[in-house]
Amino acid sequence: MIPEQPEAQRLLVAEYVLGLHSREQSAEIEQWLEQDDDAASLANHWREHWLGAAELLEPVPLPPRLWREISRRTASEDSRGRFDWQWLWQSLTLWRTVSVALLVAVVLLLGPLRVPAPVYTVVLQAPGEAASPGWRVTVSAQGDLQLTPLSESEYPADRSVQFWTLSDPALGPRSLGLVQPGESLVLPASRVGGVESGQLFELTLEPPGGSPADRPTGPVLFIGRAVAI
Amino acid sequence: MDDSRAELEEGNVLLRACASGDRQAFHQLYLNEAPRMLALARRFTGESSLAEDALQDTFIQVWENARRFQSQRGCARTWLFGLLRYRLINQHHRSRRDAFEPLPGDQWPDSGPSPEQCSVEDDQRRAIINCLQGMQMDRRRPILMAFYQGFTYEQIAETLAIPLGTIKSRVRSGLKGLQECLRL
Repeated sequence: MIPEQPEAQRLLVAEYVLGLHSREQSAEIEQWLEQDDDAASLANHWREHWLGAAELLEPVPLPPRLWREISRRTASEDSRGRFDWQWLWQSLTLWRTVSVALLVAVVLLLGPLRVPAPVYTVVLQAPGEAASPGWRVTVSAQGDLQLTPLSESEYPADRSVQFWTLSDPALGPRSLGLVQPGESLVLPASRVGGVESGQLFELTLEPPGGSPADRPTGPVLFIGRAVAI
Repeated sequence: MDDSRAELEEGNVLLRACASGDRQAFHQLYLNEAPRMLALARRFTGESSLAEDALQDTFIQVWENARRFQSQRGCARTWLFGLLRYRLINQHHRSRRDAFEPLPGDQWPDSGPSPEQCSVEDDQRRAIINCLQGMQMDRRRPILMAFYQGFTYEQIAETLAIPLGTIKSRVRSGLKGLQECLRL
């Protein structure tokens, strides 16, 4: 529960930056920080200050294998992402769209039995209502994601429901697209990106067509964190 | 420009170069920042292999997301440490509960005066050290355990064998003092 008193809110930010709260409490605070610029700014100020404490640590020697592995993994990421992805995007947009549409159709037609066993699951609940699961997210070993409604919910007809993920507050939330109320959604791994334990997913109510900004602008409808199965 | 400010500015320049795909800049950024980041990760995890995994994953995340760095929201070093701490908090910490190991700041005298009495330097990174040094040990220690080891309230209480309510009270009192001292 986010307190209403400014003094208590400021203390909560200080505690959050230090990581003093449980994962569930932190999720609620992160959701609040996403929507409160002043609180987010205060969190950044704390992080800047705490850098001074981090600089008291004695640097340790780096094992050579560490850089070799980072270099190898980022090089393979480059070959898949920075070069090929753009090239494919520009030259094969139509093909990509058709492929995704076919994938969605196949998954919907064949049903959940053909979907690989998930490795992560997320139960999206209304904020502050642990007993009100609204949607379920499953992520397969291949990284494909399925969003499934668990209950019937009513949304204003003149608004859109948008799906977001937040892997790290420093990176900010990332849109995973619009959701049709009551309908499942399947996203390929290439669209989802990496999923990690504890990663935040949420649905927000946005203007028609989605948020005009690069972050959620409307109220959070459902929220939850990824749990490894 | 003093050395530390020059270092921070270099980090910003290198990170912006990473966003353009400059691998040499990425390597230099790693050489500059990773040794201290690994030190923090080791304190959090207590295990070299977990610490190295976290550092490795963080730098891959940096390379993939360098374009999302916004220097107006903080320097590159703050961003890097923020990514690492978030990863450590969410993936690796909460596993060590019995460690009572020396922390930076343990050797500072228990000076007694409240943090409000300490002077604040213009350099905000130095300011927090000054403020912490002016804090009583029984408040400073749990705060440093949270920062350096990623302990929650419950873990701090368990490790120090002090009631949870007392720990919360001390930490909150310490953080309020820090807020005032840092003018936050």
